[in-house]
Amino acid sequence: MKTDRRPLVLISPALLWLFGLMVVPCLLILVVAFFRRGVYGGIEYTWTLENIALVFDPLYFGIFMKSAAIAGLAAGIACVLGYAAAYAIASMPRRHQPMLLFFAVLPFWSNYLVRSYAWIVLLNREGLIANLARWIGFDGELPKMLYTEPAVVIGLIYNYLPFVILSCYAPLSRLNPEIAEASRDLGASAWTTFRRITLPRTVVGIATGFVFVFVLSIGNFVTPALLGGGQFQMIGNLVYAQFLTANDWPFGAALSMVLIIIMLGLLLLQAVITERASGGKAYTDG
Amino acid sequence: MERHTLMADRNTYRLMLLIIGIVFAFLYIPISVLVALSFNEGGLPTAWTGFSVKWYGALWQNDEILQAARNTLFVAIFSTILSTILGSLLAVGVEIRRRNGKWLETIIFAPMIIPDIVLAIALLSFFSLLGVKMGLHTIIVSHVVFNLAFVCAVVRARLKNFDWAIVEASADLGASTITTLIRVILPVLMPAVLAGALLAFTLSVDEFIIAFFTAGAGRSSITLPMQIYAMIRFGVTPEINALATLVMAVSVVALALSQRLNRGGLPGQ
Amino acid sequence: MTYPLLSIQQVEKHFGNVSAVSGVTLDVQENEFFALLGASGSGKTTLLRMLAGFEALTAGDILLEGTSIAQLPPNRRPVNLMFQSYALFPHMNVAKNIAYGLEMDKLPKQEINAEVEKILDVVQLTQLAKRKPEQLSGGQRQRVALARALIKRPKVLLLDEPLGALDKKLRSDMQLELKRLQHEFGITFIMVTHDQEEALVMADRIAIMQDGGLLQVGTPNDIYERPQTRFAADFIGVMNFLPVTLSGDTLQAANGITITSTQTIDLPNGSAAVAAIRPERLHVDTQLDNNLAGDVVNIAYHGLDLLLHIKTTLSDKPIISRMTADVAERHCPTIGQQINLGWSAKDTRIFPA
Ligand SMILES: Nc1ncnc2c1ncn2[C@@H]1O[C@H](COP(=O)(O)OP(=O)(O)OP(=O)(O)O)[C@@H](O)[C@H]1O
Ligand SMILES: [Mg+2]
Repeated sequence: MKTDRRPLVLISPALLWLFGLMVVPCLLILVVAFFRRGVYGGIEYTWTLENIALVFDPLYFGIFMKSAAIAGLAAGIACVLGYAAAYAIASMPRRHQPMLLFFAVLPFWSNYLVRSYAWIVLLNREGLIANLARWIGFDGELPKMLYTEPAVVIGLIYNYLPFVILSCYAPLSRLNPEIAEASRDLGASAWTTFRRITLPRTVVGIATGFVFVFVLSIGNFVTPALLGGGQFQMIGNLVYAQFLTANDWPFGAALSMVLIIIMLGLLLLQAVITERASGGKAYTDG
Repeated sequence: MERHTLMADRNTYRLMLLIIGIVFAFLYIPISVLVALSFNEGGLPTAWTGFSVKWYGALWQNDEILQAARNTLFVAIFSTILSTILGSLLAVGVEIRRRNGKWLETIIFAPMIIPDIVLAIALLSFFSLLGVKMGLHTIIVSHVVFNLAFVCAVVRARLKNFDWAIVEASADLGASTITTLIRVILPVLMPAVLAGALLAFTLSVDEFIIAFFTAGAGRSSITLPMQIYAMIRFGVTPEINALATLVMAVSVVALALSQRLNRGGLPGQ
Repeated sequence: MTYPLLSIQQVEKHFGNVSAVSGVTLDVQENEFFALLGASGSGKTTLLRMLAGFEALTAGDILLEGTSIAQLPPNRRPVNLMFQSYALFPHMNVAKNIAYGLEMDKLPKQEINAEVEKILDVVQLTQLAKRKPEQLSGGQRQRVALARALIKRPKVLLLDEPLGALDKKLRSDMQLELKRLQHEFGITFIMVTHDQEEALVMADRIAIMQDGGLLQVGTPNDIYERPQTRFAADFIGVMNFLPVTLSGDTLQAANGITITSTQTIDLPNGSAAVAAIRPERLHVDTQLDNNLAGDVVNIAYHGLDLLLHIKTTLSDKPIISRMTADVAERHCPTIGQQINLGWSAKDTRIFPA
């Protein structure tokens, strides 16, 4: 009964769908990356490594590094803020925690574009911050805020912070308070206890948060386009341009391939870290 | 005395409250400003000139927005129906089998974590190479890819504490597999299926990148997020404030409802 | 030629390299109340699930009235299972749950309603017909599950620890109730149980299972009074075991004490064996075929009877002797007192060591 083929009837439609519209298209990218670009765009079916080589051309590689730097900065700050917030929530009385968590995550549920747009409203030349500055009597030239790198970083942090809070809260809430108490009891200061006991037991949450924010940021093209104003490019924008304006698909595919490899590598790393950490789960379950 | 998760003396406790205050301010001030401005009569952040819903009224006059809203609804409804059917069946099938290969779990999990941009690019090249004419239909089938994974995850979460003995009981009492599916499994799973459908609907309404890549050329297949994107690239207007507020309200309400239906929590949360 | 109602022939079930049921052969007669008794993991549930059609046989065959049903799917077998967890449909009320099986048989609506009403009355659930399973107590749920299976009037009703989830008091009420229903419906019951007392009280015949095989099949009296193996003797009820050595027709226990038995055992002279005596066959301060002195170390009060724990030189464990309440009232030993135990030769059973 349990081993017959009936479940296949249930799962095969969805699996076919995923296979045809996810697996095959993704594999396709890998293939296209090794073809030549046609004279009028499109694809010429001869094998080449030119596209891959072009990715490592200083011009484009620089954009990669830049994207990585911005994504890393955003992920780093988001982790600090997110861990602090998660720690603070976890130290509130138990009965208030679900509600605090709910409200920390609520913005995550609203539309991504809208959340980015909210920062345009704040940062633009006629925006709220400029108005406030004028209102409190500042009448010099305000530095440009919108369409800058910091704006992009803030936008990314703002969009993904709830995710980090969640991923950090999970291990923090499972901490057994008696372990920290035992550490204090044995003579450690609060700071030492945090550094030696709490942090190592919850670093998984930070790692998860970091990897996800980094992965989502490095391939992002909406936030740089909206808050960076197209002033500078990130990989996502570059890829987008190859497919939709420059019409150089093979190069776009090569860029995507490298991007996918970076993302998958990081996600894999994260999975390994989590698996390692779950070995010590018995301790954290309070 | 109430047990705190992390030991805190009075000063640390205050510090924690401060941190929560700062983070919540960071999270909520931007969207609150947006919402407030959408009700500002003058529409500008320079001064509050009185409460008004006139910017919402203006949305009704805007044919482009209405058309985009209709498209979005069309896409969301069809992708929700398809993904709810496929995702629920998948969940049941996978849980009946119990022991699934790693590759199967991966392929089911992948659409939820695969960055949108990757899927968007892949689908765009796929459709173009096959010479498929793109439009709302390509958006729909693309949205089903990730939506079915989310529906599946929600339904599977419910199936984790599902008493499989009732399926055997149904067979024992003479029901065929199909009858059991319709009369026993589906009704018991209904809350989770509905929650999954609602989630899928919201994700589809909100989704921008994949729709943007797979919509093809022309205005006829522009969805609401695409419309919003086009509008906000040209700056801030009171109409966008109103539209953004509306979109935000819809997603938050739909997702809150979905969670309430399911009571289990959303995947990835 | 007449067939037994149910004939299980050389049935085997392997899960990978685990052998859950091995070489079980058993006939069950019409109208019998049959109990499968065994320790946890002995294969009772697996055997039952093969009868219901939920597990495929690795080898062997199952015949119902002479025809093989081994290949039939569960929904086409005239056999019903009452699940240990009851497996009530949570989204249907009591009446709907019970009607489900008849609806599968495509009976006309009025007929179904009439049948449901009848059986609700039999199991005394008429008042609760509109309740959902979650609004019922354990005992009520148990009766719904029973009614749901019974209403199909199967040739055989399989029950997997039907009373397992009930408390002790409700359990003994339901034991009688189940027996009554079995009589009333004239259906063959095959019941799995952990509880040897339950099996003795309820069953017409009992099969003891161990490690996937049948150890002994017989009436409760057979099983209790004439266990075929030491395991069966130990598993059912309380039994005292004394290590002995065979010497001619007698048994040589420690300290040169001789034990007599009317039973003979096919073992060479001088080999080790155990003598087994039930506690109620040991009489305090009565001279019988066998006599043994010992000190009372503990007295356990059980209401209906007393169990005396008596330390003797014959075994490390104290020997247990049962005294009924009225005997104890007249003549009750105290702890530390030395007493004499006597029993007849016919009450000594012998097993290989
Ligand atoms: N699906 C399965 N896969 C592998 N092994 C199984 C499976 N079902 C049962 N077994 C094994 O078969 C043996 C018999 O199990 P079964 O459930 O029949 O025992 P049981 O007598 O009903 O025990 P209990 O009294 O605890 O219910 C056990 O060793 C069990 O581990
Ligand atoms: Mg069992």
